[in-house]
Amino acid sequence: MHISEGVLSPSVLIAGAALTTAGVAVGLKGLDHEEIPSMGILSAAFFVASLVHVPIGPSSVHLILNGLLGLILGWKAFPAILIGLALQALLFQFGGITTLGVNTLNMALPAVICYYVFGWGLRAGTRQVVFTATAFACGACAVLISGVLVGFSLYLTGEAFLPAAKLLVAAHLPVMLIEGVLTAACALFLRRVKPKLLEGQYVPRPSSS
Amino acid sequence: MCRGLRRPETAFVGRWIAYFLCAALWLVFCHAPAWAHKVMIFAWVEGDTVHTQSKLSGGRKAKNATVLVYDEEGNQLMEGKTDEQGEFSFKVPEKKTGLKIVLKASMGHMAEWKIPTAEITAVAPVSESSSAPESRKSKGSPVPTAVGLNRQEVKALIDESLDRKLAPIVKMLADQVDRGPTVSEVLGGLGYIFGLVGVALYFSNRRRKG
Repeated sequence: MHISEGVLSPSVLIAGAALTTAGVAVGLKGLDHEEIPSMGILSAAFFVASLVHVPIGPSSVHLILNGLLGLILGWKAFPAILIGLALQALLFQFGGITTLGVNTLNMALPAVICYYVFGWGLRAGTRQVVFTATAFACGACAVLISGVLVGFSLYLTGEAFLPAAKLLVAAHLPVMLIEGVLTAACALFLRRVKPKLLEGQYVPRPSSS
Repeated sequence: MCRGLRRPETAFVGRWIAYFLCAALWLVFCHAPAWAHKVMIFAWVEGDTVHTQSKLSGGRKAKNATVLVYDEEGNQLMEGKTDEQGEFSFKVPEKKTGLKIVLKASMGHMAEWKIPTAEITAVAPVSESSSAPESRKSKGSPVPTAVGLNRQEVKALIDESLDRKLAPIVKMLADQVDRGPTVSEVLGGLGYIFGLVGVALYFSNRRRKG
């Protein structure tokens, strides 16, 4: 999922960086200090998730967890993912500094989209089945949309879109399943242990645990 | 509305930090060879052939990936595909220049390896390098006369056996290139993130008070 340096054309890199800057600005606007620790923890989870290697399928792929970040953080997934990716680029040489903007956009935008599409299923009072299903769909779809976006970035630089996107999505099918299950498990765990983290997005109220 | 880090909040955060540290350590120690998602290419010259080896960072071979060879000016000299072993070999081109070998794997992954001019010319075919050693023949002349071999044949023999002896070491070096993130890098990254959280909290607290 990390696009390496030197693959994309400068215009795509600049456009990606600009959109990411806008996303980060939205994410940081009106940031409540109570949300900072959860952002940090999810950023750390994202950072470490890329080391979990899934050896199934035609290629070497890893967990992304952007669905989970979107679910809990919404727009704040942008800064969290940016920090995670920056550290992965600096410490692990995954991706690169010049492609940081595009990579952040490709992973954080699906997180935000999933937040808006599936957020309703995670409000307090949703039935358990619906809750689990939406969380699963959120985790899986975020990876799917990421795959399509990476394919689109490559297409803008001159690669054929369909083969690239097909390959990406096919390679990430096992990851989609695993991420769906993981996201659902995390969401269920949080609902039981710390419902405030999930409901805080919709029902602002003081701590209840 | 009373806001601030109350005790349950901090305890919760602390517990999660502990979980993630444990998870990170577990990953590092149990899954060391299974790192993900980066491609690497390693190339070396052996005789008049350049060998390249391509890998995904999980240690898997990058099969059927495109390898592009450029000279120092950036002109493309040739293009090839890696085989089942992720390997691709080609003859050293006529013009002795440094080479830039670029691996283009699918999904936007790319890596490159540079071979400096010195390395190419050092192992160039014997016929070409004859003029240079000739000039300082005085030192080495007893050897060929004693064995009945001329200088060039000795050199060729030595090169050949050196290539053979060094092959495992070169292979080992190629494997070394595939060095996944270490424990210290993972923990360092986590440390950065928690440090940033601390800084962010500090500033947001100051803003609230101010």
